[in-house]
Amino acid sequence: MAGESGSGLTGAAAPEEAAAPAALAATVTGRGRGGEPAGGGPREARARRLRRGLRPWLLLAPALLVLAVLLFWPLVRVLQLSLQDYGLREINTGESNYIGLGNYREILGDSFLWTKVLPNTVVFALACVLLTVAFGTLVALLLQRLGRVWRTICSSVIMMAWAMPAVTGTYVWIWVFDPLDGVVSGGLDALGLIDPEQTNWFTDRWAFYAIAALNVVHHGFPFVAVTVYAALLTIPRELPEAALMDGANAWQRFWRITVPVIRPVFLVVTILSTIWDFKVFAQVYLMPGGAGSNEDVLNLGVWSYIQSFSRNEYGMGSAIAVLLTLLLLGITVLYIRLLSRERDEL
Amino acid sequence: MSTARTAGPAVAGPGRRTSPARRLGLGVAVAALLAFTLFPVYWMLSSAFDPKAGHRGSSVLPSGFTLDHFRYVLDTGDFSRYLLNSLVVGLGTVLLSGLLALFAAVAVARFQFRMRSKVLVMILVVQMVPMEALVIPLFLQMRDLKMLNSLLGLTIVYLAFSLPFAIWTLRGFVAAVPKEVEEAAYLDGCGWWRMFRSVLLPLVAPGLVATSIFAFIVAWNEFVFAFVFMQDDGKYTAAVGLHAFFGQYSTDWGAVMAGSTLITLPVLIFFVLVQRRLAGGLAAGAIR
Repeated sequence: MAGESGSGLTGAAAPEEAAAPAALAATVTGRGRGGEPAGGGPREARARRLRRGLRPWLLLAPALLVLAVLLFWPLVRVLQLSLQDYGLREINTGESNYIGLGNYREILGDSFLWTKVLPNTVVFALACVLLTVAFGTLVALLLQRLGRVWRTICSSVIMMAWAMPAVTGTYVWIWVFDPLDGVVSGGLDALGLIDPEQTNWFTDRWAFYAIAALNVVHHGFPFVAVTVYAALLTIPRELPEAALMDGANAWQRFWRITVPVIRPVFLVVTILSTIWDFKVFAQVYLMPGGAGSNEDVLNLGVWSYIQSFSRNEYGMGSAIAVLLTLLLLGITVLYIRLLSRERDEL
Repeated sequence: MSTARTAGPAVAGPGRRTSPARRLGLGVAVAALLAFTLFPVYWMLSSAFDPKAGHRGSSVLPSGFTLDHFRYVLDTGDFSRYLLNSLVVGLGTVLLSGLLALFAAVAVARFQFRMRSKVLVMILVVQMVPMEALVIPLFLQMRDLKMLNSLLGLTIVYLAFSLPFAIWTLRGFVAAVPKEVEEAAYLDGCGWWRMFRSVLLPLVAPGLVATSIFAFIVAWNEFVFAFVFMQDDGKYTAAVGLHAFFGQYSTDWGAVMAGSTLITLPVLIFFVLVQRRLAGGLAAGAIR
């Protein structure tokens, strides 16, 4: 999944540029087809032109239909639902029950949002992004310094961390940190540091999120490492060599040359990591207590799910989902502005 | 890592002379990286084969070797059915998204028409909508269509999630096919459809492989939608099945890890197989 939206967005960083060769190709092909033997009267010619004009739309139709029904319409629906008191009765009758901004007022006026859910979402995401990007970059720099054989070994192993599905990865981390039989508690017990009977990391908010962060960073750093490594390869060799001549040390070379040159790539991996880490669901929901029994550890995504599917307040759940979307939208816009300013400078 | 940095004047890159201190630093860094990265995978596998997995505590090596946990999850835990369901949904997503995305990619890469760039940007924007936010409306929609417990319903939702990426990727591949090749086909008397089938399709096959793998992984790994949509345990996908199994036998760690292994292995193999192409594709995407 990581990769999936990954390349999509990265490719999107420059839609105009990327579209140019395609447009060129299309124009040229158009001319090529113009070479077909032209026969018949003007009416046939018009029919042919119409057919040709229709063809791209026929090709696009199935995909656009799917996107409209399954992405665009639900987006409209979630906005509608967020303005309603939509519960079991409305689900069964299918009636709507608009209450204006009531759901939003209730959520935003609730200190639960400001003291628990929002910090759990925002602080957690920022910490994860920082750790993921920093660690991923360090791994990329390491890969650059390795010989071919070790580089292949390391990148294959990194792929394994990436490949691990979020669900199974989460269960493995739960097992590793299992308070009674897990490896960490067993090890600390053997060292005499803790008493497993008295310890449960999953009930404490900070420990819970520390484990979740470990899980998320472990799953997320390979994307950063692979992408930044690819970007490092594009730095012209003369640059660091010239800096070396001028007596710059490795630290200076990294901050003065590497970082500025591959800044756009840093921005892209940061924005993608931010988006992913803000909407973490399975990694929190599946942890002990994460499914609602421990209210201290709810984040926006899980809260929205629980309001809707456990408490049957679909309107409230939708309002929380809209808030999460707006938060992500704000971040995306911010980053895209940074990114486009970057492009103007280049 | 820091050792590598303090090693001073050696510039990065292959074929440079390396001092012993630098080599030692690199060795330590590599060992730490491998240990951190592999540890969960190793712990999952070794617990899945360990006859006394639940009580291994912190012993690094498993106490023996057994396939009992796998037998248990496949028979009692019904994992064979969950895996089959996941496979059906995954392959369905791959086939449908490959087909629809290829058509759409040809349209945007090979034809000039009004609104072309608008369509492209729209596809991109739609992709940025967090799908987690759409769980509630899609649940209600599927419920109205009576498709809640159907593998087909889940497949078309995953189709929607994998389409935008597949269209954008394939668009690049289609645009990269030289137009002369197409023209030659026309000169040989091919119609457009014939050209599409015997010229364009084989040439964009590598792109189709890449998008197929991504679509499969999306479908195979997805949790929230499968969890919300599939209420009948005969229709669970593997991830939801694991969740249900964990709910029932949460202390049977050997079996839970065996189930996790069964879910992880196909994806793991896929990733390692395509890793070179994956890295290359990401690089191309990121640097473009």
